[in-house]
Amino acid sequence: MKSLSLAIVALGLAGTEVALADDLPTVAIVHGRVYVPGDHPPLADATVVLANGKVQAVGPDIPVPAGARVVDARGKTVTPGFIDADTDVGAIDVEMESPTNDTNVRGLMNPALRMIDGYNPRSALIPIARAGGVTSVVVAPRSGVLAGQAAFVDLAGETVAAALVRPALAQYAHLDEETAEASAGTRSGLWLLVREALEDARFYATHKAQYDANGTRPLSLRRAGLEALLPVLRGEQPFVVTAHRASDIESALRLADELKLKLVLEGASEAWMVADDLARRKVPVVIDPLEDLPEHFDRLHARSDNAALLERAGVIVIIATFSAHQCRLLWQHAGNAVRLGMDHDAAIRAVTEAPAAAFGLKGYGVLEPGAVANVVVWTGDPLQTSTHAEHVFVRGREQSLETRQTLLLERYRTLPVSRDGSR
Amino acid sequence: MKRRIAGSGIAALAALALGQPTCLPFGNHTEAARPAASTTLAPAPDPFATFEANASASVDPAPAGHGAPVVIQHATVMTATGRKFASGFVAMEDGLITSIGEGDGPPPKPGSTVVVDGRGKFVTPGIIDPHSHIGVYPVPDTAAHDDGNEMTDPVTAGVRAEHSFWPQDPAIERAVAGGVTTIAVLPGSGNLIGGRGIVMHLTPQRGARAMRFPGAPELLKMACGENPKRVYKEQKRSPTTRMGSLRTLREAFLRAQKYARDLAEWTRKSQEAASAPPKKQDDKSGNDPPKPPDRDLSLETLALVMRGDILVQWHCYQADDMLAALQVADEFGFKVRAFHHALEAYKIRDVLSRKRVAIATWDDWWGFKMEAYDGIPENLALLTEAGVRASLHSDSPIAIQFLNQAAGKALAAGRAAGVELDEEDALRWLTANPAWLLGIDEQVGTLEVGKRADVVVWSDNPLSTYARAEMVYVDGQLVFDRAHVGAPWSDFELGVRAMPPKGKTK
Repeated sequence: MKSLSLAIVALGLAGTEVALADDLPTVAIVHGRVYVPGDHPPLADATVVLANGKVQAVGPDIPVPAGARVVDARGKTVTPGFIDADTDVGAIDVEMESPTNDTNVRGLMNPALRMIDGYNPRSALIPIARAGGVTSVVVAPRSGVLAGQAAFVDLAGETVAAALVRPALAQYAHLDEETAEASAGTRSGLWLLVREALEDARFYATHKAQYDANGTRPLSLRRAGLEALLPVLRGEQPFVVTAHRASDIESALRLADELKLKLVLEGASEAWMVADDLARRKVPVVIDPLEDLPEHFDRLHARSDNAALLERAGVIVIIATFSAHQCRLLWQHAGNAVRLGMDHDAAIRAVTEAPAAAFGLKGYGVLEPGAVANVVVWTGDPLQTSTHAEHVFVRGREQSLETRQTLLLERYRTLPVSRDGSR
Repeated sequence: MKRRIAGSGIAALAALALGQPTCLPFGNHTEAARPAASTTLAPAPDPFATFEANASASVDPAPAGHGAPVVIQHATVMTATGRKFASGFVAMEDGLITSIGEGDGPPPKPGSTVVVDGRGKFVTPGIIDPHSHIGVYPVPDTAAHDDGNEMTDPVTAGVRAEHSFWPQDPAIERAVAGGVTTIAVLPGSGNLIGGRGIVMHLTPQRGARAMRFPGAPELLKMACGENPKRVYKEQKRSPTTRMGSLRTLREAFLRAQKYARDLAEWTRKSQEAASAPPKKQDDKSGNDPPKPPDRDLSLETLALVMRGDILVQWHCYQADDMLAALQVADEFGFKVRAFHHALEAYKIRDVLSRKRVAIATWDDWWGFKMEAYDGIPENLALLTEAGVRASLHSDSPIAIQFLNQAAGKALAAGRAAGVELDEEDALRWLTANPAWLLGIDEQVGTLEVGKRADVVVWSDNPLSTYARAEMVYVDGQLVFDRAHVGAPWSDFELGVRAMPPKGKTK
């Protein structure tokens, strides 16, 4: 975590150009404690200027542009909008009501699946996540072996087009005990499926003409699936592997070496046991610091200071919620990493800079000139229970912090309930 | 609940607690029932008490012994009574809190008292989680230990979570590392009446009974709403609807009413027979003692609920479901001690306050199912403002490890909504209120002289994200010391364990 690799940023896929409205007021957030990229401590008293959906300037002596709206952040903290690197926001309304839950696709091998096709920018969960200071999310596929492609979206905008940043951010593979059991029945069987699929995709890449003329041997995936794996095999699209047991992580590292994949690890309860390997290879690890139980036999060595141990070993740590309804608690997940030994500012980077860098999202997760103006003003330390997000900007536009929950509170703040109002 | 009764033998049921005064609540492991020396006494005036005493006998009681006296000094002491000592002390001896206050406390006995330097630390009562499935849904998650829900009948009031509890669950020690000293282990919510829950004191023991909180009342887990009807719909049996659930529930209590009547009738007749003039040895004429009704463990439990001897802990999310549940309780004349989860409790907080029903809930969980869709983070605060005794609970071996943060969050949410709350209110969500909810508030839940010395030393204000429980005392004994983590409690973790973290953290 000491030096984020800019090389990863440079490898980024061509992104959807962020559409910007031109009616945006310029905003100057003044006198805040401002988190800036890299290994710098936060600036104690600085100004952040947002204009045209971008960060225009950051620093201690920045003049407030004429006509700018001024937000006084004295005693407050200003960070890039938090990025949840693994969530179901926009893909679930009510987890246990299957029709409202677009995460449990049938079938095991769905590399061509795109989570963006099920994304609902009007979900009631989105304003709630945003009120927790989360401004962008990786909507990740949940089920299957080759699970498909995550979407990267900003948590604003009335339409999918308006929210979308990357429709096909990364390919996801679940190579853990649970998926082995649900697919081939054993780990070796699971790996056979994955290797066969990747081998077939590699074959397909050089035999497209024969394939289209029905001139190849049968392949384990259909055309869309084979196509979807090509950017993974070219090392362009991150290949995100969920694995927990140290030996499963080793298997993923071997596969990545062999096929020159751009590996990101997820879950990774036992990652601390292979921390040096992960650090040397610069493999980012997406974890939930609250998951510290030996919940399955593939994570008997799970421990609550996984994040701290990885950070100390120099691994790129990313913190995620793996949750839809509680995406708003990303701060708490990061805070608990700090509670058990992770550096505080590294934990902030683990929900801002680190995921942006790992997924090649240029302009995200940093407050620097030219960055996307996703910015949060917090009432205090963002990772503290007593703090809340006071101003949330997405692409330079301040977002309402009204949610379905604040409306419920308002309705029931005094009893008996009056339904006379406009709501 | 501290009524004392005389347990005595019942002729028809041979092995009974004879002449052993048994303390109600029934589960006192230090006063275990003993098999009767004789079975010739008159039937008990209260057969239920005998049944209960027999069912709570222990073959392996918790060992006695409370270690050396301890005094924690120079700490911020938060008592959960409303009093806070900025540089205070807590002294404990023989398992109890012996003095508490501002300053250094009583002079330590040389060579005996352990003095803990609490400078910069915070001291609170041990956290009490009134809703856990630790031990009955242990980790690792295996089919072999999937013991939390007896989903073969919607009414299984006769089962006991204690009989499923695996004392080697690695989650137990992690809960203690989160500052938790007492939990209620409940059966799951697959059934309308899931069975008896048990209050556990968290110390490493070989069997469930040795962990029973001494003198804690019996609990009954009930469930309304989505879960039971989903479970039985999958089994293609009743209930599949809310109305089916209510019907099944009311019928169960009707049967229990009859059972209680039959038992009372038998008791009356037996006593009449016993007090009749003794027959001559060779008199073969009638007048035999009446035959007792067949025992039914499920109906016994429900009869005790209607007597008020078992505290009802009712899983219920929606406001309308809670109102319907209260109607059933009124119909059969029993009290609901607490609704659990209760995400819509804020909508009916006036009713809950009036009927003195407590609430155990999360800080901000919501949305995972329809009946959880209207959860709001201000629930606890609004309930507290309305005078409802509100508690935090975890229902999760993960969440139990940072219930203190949940209190911090719920406090912040309440304050942001303009509810006047202080840190002691938030602490009571974790300690004093769940103690009342479980009927153990005379023994734990606050730091007061004479209470059990269940005490936590925190690295920071316990409502902070960064607070770590550094030392945890149960009955005055140090059971967790973050600076000196020893061998794992759980046999299962021998050789594999890497938790909790050792040594110093930043």
